[in-house]
Amino acid sequence: MSGYRIGIDVGGTFTDVVARRPDGTLVLEKAPTTPDDQSRGVLDAITRVAEAEGTDLAALLAVTDAIVHGTTTGDNTMIQMTGASVGLLVTEGFRDEIEFRRCYKESIWDPTLPAPEPIAKRRVRLEIAERMSAEGEIVDPLDETAVRHAVQRLQRFGVTSIAVVYLHAYLNPVHELRTREIIIEEYPQVASISLSHEVFPKPPEFERTSTTLVNAYVGPPISRYLDRLEAALHGAGYSNELLIATSAGGVTTPIALQSKAVATIGSGPTGGAMAAARAATAARLGDVVSVDMGGTSYDVCLIRDGRPAVTTDWNWRHRYCIALPMVDIHSIGAGGGSVVQAASGMLEVGPRSAGSQPGPICYRRGGHEPCVTDVDLVLGRLTPQGFYGGRMTLDLDGARDGLAKVAADSGLPSADDAAVGAAAIVDAHMTDAVRRVLSLAGADPRDLDLVAFGGMGAVHATAQAAALGMRRVLVPRAAPAFSALGLLTADHVVDLTQGYIVPWQQADIARIAAMADTLETRARTELAISQIPEERLRFEWFCNLVYPGQTFDVAIPCERPSDESRGASDGGVLAAAVAEFHRRYEQARLIEARAQEPVFRGLRLVATGLVDQAETVTLTSAAAPEPVGTRRLYAGDEWFAEAPVYDGETWRPGSDVTGPAIVQFRFTTLVLRPGDRARVLPHGDVIVDVA
Amino acid sequence: MSSAESRTKLSPEEVVTVALTLDPTTVASFAVQPGASGAIDQITAEVIRSAMETVCFEMATFVSRTATTPILNQSNERNATVHDWRGRLAALSVGIPQFMLSATLPIDFAIEFLGEELYPGDVLVANDPYHGGGHLPDFNVFAPVFHPRADGTDELVLIASIQCHHGDTGGAMAGGYNVFAKDIWSEGTRYPLLKIFERGKERRDVVLTMRANNRIGGFVGDLRAQVGAAQLGVERLGQVIERYGPETVKAACDHVIEDTKRRFRSEIAAWPDGTYEADAYVDADPMGNTDIHVHVAVTVEGERLIVDFDGSDTRPHIQAWSTFGNTRGQVVAQIASLVDPNIAKNQGFFECIELAVPLGCCLNPVEGKPVSAGTHHPGVEVCDAIALAFAQLIPERVCPQSYKYGAPRQMWGDVDPRTGRPFFDHGGEVNAGWVNGVKGVDGWGALVASNGNLIKASAEINETIFPHFLRGRNYITDSGGAGQWRGGCGSLFMKEARTPTYISQYVVNQYRTHPGIAGGANGAPDTCYLKVGGPAEAVVRVDPSVTGVLLETGERLVYHFGGGGGWGDALLRDPSAVLEDVWDEYVSVEGARRDYGVVVTGTVADMDLALDLPATEVMRAELRAARPSGTSSGGSLSGAS
Repeated sequence: MSGYRIGIDVGGTFTDVVARRPDGTLVLEKAPTTPDDQSRGVLDAITRVAEAEGTDLAALLAVTDAIVHGTTTGDNTMIQMTGASVGLLVTEGFRDEIEFRRCYKESIWDPTLPAPEPIAKRRVRLEIAERMSAEGEIVDPLDETAVRHAVQRLQRFGVTSIAVVYLHAYLNPVHELRTREIIIEEYPQVASISLSHEVFPKPPEFERTSTTLVNAYVGPPISRYLDRLEAALHGAGYSNELLIATSAGGVTTPIALQSKAVATIGSGPTGGAMAAARAATAARLGDVVSVDMGGTSYDVCLIRDGRPAVTTDWNWRHRYCIALPMVDIHSIGAGGGSVVQAASGMLEVGPRSAGSQPGPICYRRGGHEPCVTDVDLVLGRLTPQGFYGGRMTLDLDGARDGLAKVAADSGLPSADDAAVGAAAIVDAHMTDAVRRVLSLAGADPRDLDLVAFGGMGAVHATAQAAALGMRRVLVPRAAPAFSALGLLTADHVVDLTQGYIVPWQQADIARIAAMADTLETRARTELAISQIPEERLRFEWFCNLVYPGQTFDVAIPCERPSDESRGASDGGVLAAAVAEFHRRYEQARLIEARAQEPVFRGLRLVATGLVDQAETVTLTSAAAPEPVGTRRLYAGDEWFAEAPVYDGETWRPGSDVTGPAIVQFRFTTLVLRPGDRARVLPHGDVIVDVA
Repeated sequence: MSSAESRTKLSPEEVVTVALTLDPTTVASFAVQPGASGAIDQITAEVIRSAMETVCFEMATFVSRTATTPILNQSNERNATVHDWRGRLAALSVGIPQFMLSATLPIDFAIEFLGEELYPGDVLVANDPYHGGGHLPDFNVFAPVFHPRADGTDELVLIASIQCHHGDTGGAMAGGYNVFAKDIWSEGTRYPLLKIFERGKERRDVVLTMRANNRIGGFVGDLRAQVGAAQLGVERLGQVIERYGPETVKAACDHVIEDTKRRFRSEIAAWPDGTYEADAYVDADPMGNTDIHVHVAVTVEGERLIVDFDGSDTRPHIQAWSTFGNTRGQVVAQIASLVDPNIAKNQGFFECIELAVPLGCCLNPVEGKPVSAGTHHPGVEVCDAIALAFAQLIPERVCPQSYKYGAPRQMWGDVDPRTGRPFFDHGGEVNAGWVNGVKGVDGWGALVASNGNLIKASAEINETIFPHFLRGRNYITDSGGAGQWRGGCGSLFMKEARTPTYISQYVVNQYRTHPGIAGGANGAPDTCYLKVGGPAEAVVRVDPSVTGVLLETGERLVYHFGGGGGWGDALLRDPSAVLEDVWDEYVSVEGARRDYGVVVTGTVADMDLALDLPATEVMRAELRAARPSGTSSGGSLSGAS
């Protein structure tokens, strides 16, 4: 560890930056996000760190080893639908998969929901005569003339980015590869070509089509953005590595993203989940749920065995399926900006958000509808002074007036009652969101601890933990810039899958071993760019298995399939994975699972290049803290006229306080209900034993 | 017979009799008013409602994670609900509206039949169409949630229910869809009510019996997944009751149901009073009896909404029977799609709809009629008829939530040459069809919104399992009904056999096509041909059904799935939207002229399409003049083509 390592997370309002000094301590800073070109905000944020360190940008960059960046360029492109002009070449007869969506629609009760904005209209989705069988054999040869004509046509339509999705190309890509050659011959200026077997080498066709189309759509803007950012950083004196966060929960290089830019979509909240995993480990907690509550959303992630859960296949973002591995973060529209209103006489919270512009009433930015932030202010959970590190004072009277109006419209006696009711509703929404996430994984909240971060996370955390039957809450010291911290500590991750569908007893083990060779070569090639030494590489192998006809694969850990496992008459590696697969089903109380023989659906490799982790810093202890004042507070179903207020920034290991109390940090506030006990851990994070 | 209280006093024998001869009007109005469960504040009620919906989600998810057969874990055909102590629907979650809404009657029957014999730890299973069910493949599994009283007895507070569609029901034919069955007993085994768990202990005799009456090896495993989900529901609802107390939870159920009634009634009150009648037809039942008729009269009187199916088909020999429970679920599913989608779905809808379905008509058969096919047809035509009636009332909200599948296609053979084994393909792949336009939105996607949770199978995976090539399923140009907002296109689905394969198929919507609304045209019809690609004289058109036709290797099934109906007068469609449709080949140049009166010059192939607006004006004026006076365009209330 010779120099700085910098993590930068671009949020909707602020660009957060966390720099790890050579001695392992951290610096947190924020700069306003610059939506038109995020790279300016990134440079601004790094400049603030330089200033905080008493130096200038060039000098800081000269002693920086790595900059790790999470970009929302892809997500913003999808939100605004401003991506490249995309055309699609498909196997004859499969022109409309992207519209069919396997019949999925987002709202089963609302026939007036419109279709998603198309990435490629039907006129630029052109059919090519060609066909592979499910065994990967050519049934109909590629009609090369048709490809040439189609490419000419797309060019005339103004298409600049071409996606190619042929049936069963994940088994035999020769037609897609030949098509790329023809595209380049016919249209050398084309900006981007996305081949489905390179983006997502797996069935089924809809998931692969959607993922490949999104890749073609966001690829060119992401490339342009990363080029600009690299140029700006180099111009400012930086000569080391720029790493980009992916939605799989790792980092990769801009070069690797050139063919797979879609892997950055949804990466925004992953940094927080990764940081939560490390914080939980540092605090010696077991499995945890991380909750990130900011201005507009509430993100929930289950972290088991020190790692955030990752899902593939049926991942939906921005109304498109992006089937690549993604950290499994569930988001609901509940945040400080969620609007509190009376709807037909009933008090309601969200899902509409006032965001940060105009924002809650108390921000004094012209917002006139009360939001959750106003509620928390009226309940005494936030201080009218010193929001955002003291740069902003809050309008308590305005918030109270707004809530009084809602109270009147919903038949409640006072602003206090509306605030108490709204807090109960938003807490219930969040609690139910956690339950839904856990139910998808079959986890019981009572076996888990809560890690709370984001500007509002610690405000609501203790009430939520109590509602879920959870006994401990961890509030990391770096909570408000947690995503940036997570990026800083993220490992390089290459997550690859090769599809091959066969009843497992009939699987060709030699073929699976050859697939393993291919996957490992690809992973090593990708990791080689970052020059990670061999001893820091980890390879984890999985067999994807299903019972016949199931849609969604289950990845079962296995040994690396190799030449040695070929000889095993019982299938060796595969048989062990199948046994484990049965066992997992049986564990879920289904003793009859073995009546069916699983189908092998593919081999997956998760290759990790481990990043140097800083030593945990141990802070010096200090005397028990004294309150800096008192405030009227609603916590744990009752009002307290004079709850003590603490300055959390002065807390050191040894601090130990029991609620009711308010602990104010620079960018967030921890609310302790009666009996909740907060202690500071040796490295500075705060743990609460929930009453 | 107008309240749960009176029904629970009946002896079991009386109940069976009564259940068979029940006046459906009485059942549907289900006039239980909220009891004196005490006051509750709306915030607590909202928190409890949200918690119950989450429990539904958890139950459904449990099945998806643990079931081993595709229909449960692949297609999301699992419908979780929570009911109050009187069986009233209190909350539901992901699933298919029609089926979530049909979960209440089997529970009502159980409460009536068992009365005091319902114990903590019980889990019940039921699938009988004549005791509240839809059709035999839909197994309802449900469990009571009790709370201990101070005196040591237990109080019934809630009921957790999970309904799943299973792949077999015993009976004469595999698969649960014996469309030629003469009666319910040849369709499969009826289970009006069984305790699969009693007081927390699995009844091995019951499991053994159910296993013995099913062909599928994984059936009991899937049933156990359902039982596990119900038990999870009991545990989680028990926590909710523990937290808030049984009286508060009961009051919350009353409150949310009352809230739904209040919001739904305020919509009804805003509708113009009157009686609105409509007809919908099925071309033919699988036996070839034509024009299965659904007639509805919807009456609005202030806050009252009366839905009466008197006049629907009563021919005793037809093969098209939708049970009362299924009919009722379809009615509410369609009506719920017409109102504010944010109104919570619960018993409040049932209680606001006065439903009359004469016993013996095709929508409320006497006991013994076969019902597997009728769940779909005339079941979904109930949606069409309701939609057409409401089209006279609130056209701006109307979009029929129906599909026209006939019966699931079945393809089988003795040997898949790749494995040497027999194969059986239930035909669950994606296709597109029958999605109406609605005011402001053209029909889009593959199926209607209410099927939006039904994730269908893919070509690539099915080709690995079954010996065929799916040769395509593109949208068909000009198949969407013309309208100011266009119906979604149907699709051309082609499957080619790689080995000799038998096929059974029932096709509807060939003549009585999917209805347009508010002057929109009907969608294009369905047609289905077999043995395409073989000798020309061998080609078979399926009309209305075939069984066991042999496809030789290389021969195809070619199925034109029909389009959705349009909304509003096609001559009012924005010409530039028509031009866009021509560019995208949803509509042809000829179709634009014929159906929309929009003159487009050039061709798609030459990429020189352009609007001729003056010619369009002339063309539209001519088309308007040619119409019989007093009509708008092609849509017809009868749904006839």
